[in-house]
Amino acid sequence: MDAALELDRVSKRYGAVTAVDDLSFTARKGRILGFLGPNGAGKTSTLRMVLGLSAVSAGRIDVLGAPDGRSVRDRIGFLPEERGLYRRMTPVEAIVFLAGLKGVPAGEARRRARDMLQEQGLGEAQNRQIRQLSKGMAQKVQLIAAIVHRPELVILDEPFSGLDPVNQQTLETVIRKLAEDGATVVFSTHVMQHAERLCEHVVLLARGRKAFDGEVAEARASVPRALVLEGALEAGDAVGLPGVASVASQSLGEGLWRHVCALKAGANGQEALKTAFARGLDIQRFDLREPTLHDAFIVLTGENPGPEATVAGEAAA
Amino acid sequence: MRRLLQIAAREYVAYVRTVGFWLSMLALPLGMALVMGASGYMEASAPPPAIVLVDRTPGQIYQQPVTAALTTPGGLRERPRHEVVAPPVALPGDTAAIGAALKPWLAGEARLPGKRKLAAAYVIHGQGEAVAVDVWTDNPLLGATAKIRQTVADQMQQSRLVAAGISPATLAEIRALEPRITDWSPKTSQKASLLNRLPGVIGFGAAMLLWSVIFTGAGILLNGVIEEKSSKVLEVLLSSATVPEILFGKILGVAGVTFTVLGVWGGVGALLMSLFAPAQAADVGRVLLSGGLIFYFAFYLVCGYLMYASVFTAIGSFCETTREAQTLLGPIMILLTIPVIFLSQALRRPDTPALDILSWIPPFTPFMMTARAASNPPLWQVVGTGAIMLATVAVVVWIAGRAFRAGALSTGKVDLKGLVAKLRGGE
Repeated sequence: MDAALELDRVSKRYGAVTAVDDLSFTARKGRILGFLGPNGAGKTSTLRMVLGLSAVSAGRIDVLGAPDGRSVRDRIGFLPEERGLYRRMTPVEAIVFLAGLKGVPAGEARRRARDMLQEQGLGEAQNRQIRQLSKGMAQKVQLIAAIVHRPELVILDEPFSGLDPVNQQTLETVIRKLAEDGATVVFSTHVMQHAERLCEHVVLLARGRKAFDGEVAEARASVPRALVLEGALEAGDAVGLPGVASVASQSLGEGLWRHVCALKAGANGQEALKTAFARGLDIQRFDLREPTLHDAFIVLTGENPGPEATVAGEAAA
Repeated sequence: MRRLLQIAAREYVAYVRTVGFWLSMLALPLGMALVMGASGYMEASAPPPAIVLVDRTPGQIYQQPVTAALTTPGGLRERPRHEVVAPPVALPGDTAAIGAALKPWLAGEARLPGKRKLAAAYVIHGQGEAVAVDVWTDNPLLGATAKIRQTVADQMQQSRLVAAGISPATLAEIRALEPRITDWSPKTSQKASLLNRLPGVIGFGAAMLLWSVIFTGAGILLNGVIEEKSSKVLEVLLSSATVPEILFGKILGVAGVTFTVLGVWGGVGALLMSLFAPAQAADVGRVLLSGGLIFYFAFYLVCGYLMYASVFTAIGSFCETTREAQTLLGPIMILLTIPVIFLSQALRRPDTPALDILSWIPPFTPFMMTARAASNPPLWQVVGTGAIMLATVAVVVWIAGRAFRAGALSTGKVDLKGLVAKLRGGE
């Protein structure tokens, strides 16, 4: 079997509320899977079921050959959404303790902890109490604690939240390295750019239901390309251009407009542009935009996963 | 088991490394040493209170016996409790004016030689059967008045009896008459000794020990879990170990902390007792080892601690602040105060029916059965309450485990309805 994690029609209900509804997907061994959705989509509930922290209401889970993460917890690394470490411990002590729970002997855990802290630029902080570290440093310590036992499956719940851009970049490097070393990485996020950079395979979740399961390119292909035109031209002018399927317009003030023209399948926008100039339409700025995963998410789920909504996304919607 | 022990070890080390642990470890011995040292120093360094004794009765027949009664050595150090001093000023002939004459010394405005304060003045006056004692002092706890009353009364009664024709020698013989009282042990049919009373005292002590272990241990557990919940460590732990491993690891670790403190206190106490009262120390050891009493205590100690510690740990898992915990803790604290009320009763009247009834109610069983050890409760009661205790502990630990998991993963405040729903759903 090629799957490290498989969910088959899994549901989770809290009383009358259905947090996860009939969810199925597979995470292949040695790959990075992005588990995407807005806050409240059911990502954390799903990951908790995978780990065996909460029971499945319906369906079946297979984690590294086990029905949930409890019996294979030593082979899983987990970074929870809400980070927490013993504040009065030093990074080395905290990592050694958590590695010990996963079966790593203390001496080996200490050696790995020091090496990994050094790699992450925390060599000088390794003997300070965690409460004395910055938030970013503490998050790095927590990540090391989650992977120090060299797990086969790494589950990261919103790993990028609260990190500055530099640390986000570092984390992306760590995730890539884990996959290169053979680990399967499943990470949840509502920030699509990370998934776009890291994953080939994504699962999109909205209101507890799966909206998409497949390759990133496949998700992007579900969204039409968009031609953005800004100037004094009117919506009616844009609608009549060849290859344009629909137009979303936004006033920029002083008689200027931004028209986001969703293109028909196969249309490349060149023809529309040529026609617009040939017709002498007042165009002060134009841009041909490739769809992003964020755009795909909006199209596929009808929801905006985060604050970084794009013009192409608006057009597609 | 490996993970359980690792969690227990972390808990233990986390507390032992704190300043609070060492303060609590040293607080009791230091406090006791301070109290004993201070009282000993005060007794050794302070001279006995100075008293002026004035006998204005004909023949001054009370002066000598009352002085002797007041200055007889007593107490642990065998020192006189009072010192009878000469009046610092010539006293007026009028008895009623003596107090006024001594007022500057009694009020501390004037001092006796050696800068001592005059503690009291006793003026004995009258004659025959109309003897009176005027007491001038602002210290009612001086302890001299009772002695003077008794001595003067003895002398008055003696005068009357001598006047009635009884010789002083006969009188002395009469006074010496008293019954010989012998304590018999109903259990051994031999003369009772301290050894016979020890089981009751040790049972009471063991019950109080259990109570303090639960109170301190459960408090430590509660605060520890609240801290872990608020700092989001619990979810990390839950992904690395099973609920029973976490629950029992914590309980074991904190039990280690509590028993380390108690062990040090007990060890120091046993050492001091074996040095200064070796016979009594041997008696205590004999009582604990005879008839498996120590295992009897250990059984109820383990059951009681497990029951309350699991409940406190589960409550802590629902709370991110101690204020949140207080609302859930109210009923438990009420339960915990009830045994204290009845424990002293168990020492004085171990056969009181109320103690029998309370022994069958699981929250009180460990305390009551421990305290009743001295009265040799019937075997069927020991077996019955023990079985109920074991069943209760199993149920409480099971529910606490479910509650702990639900609490650890919950967010926001949890009301009673929500708590029950989470327990039923196991979430």
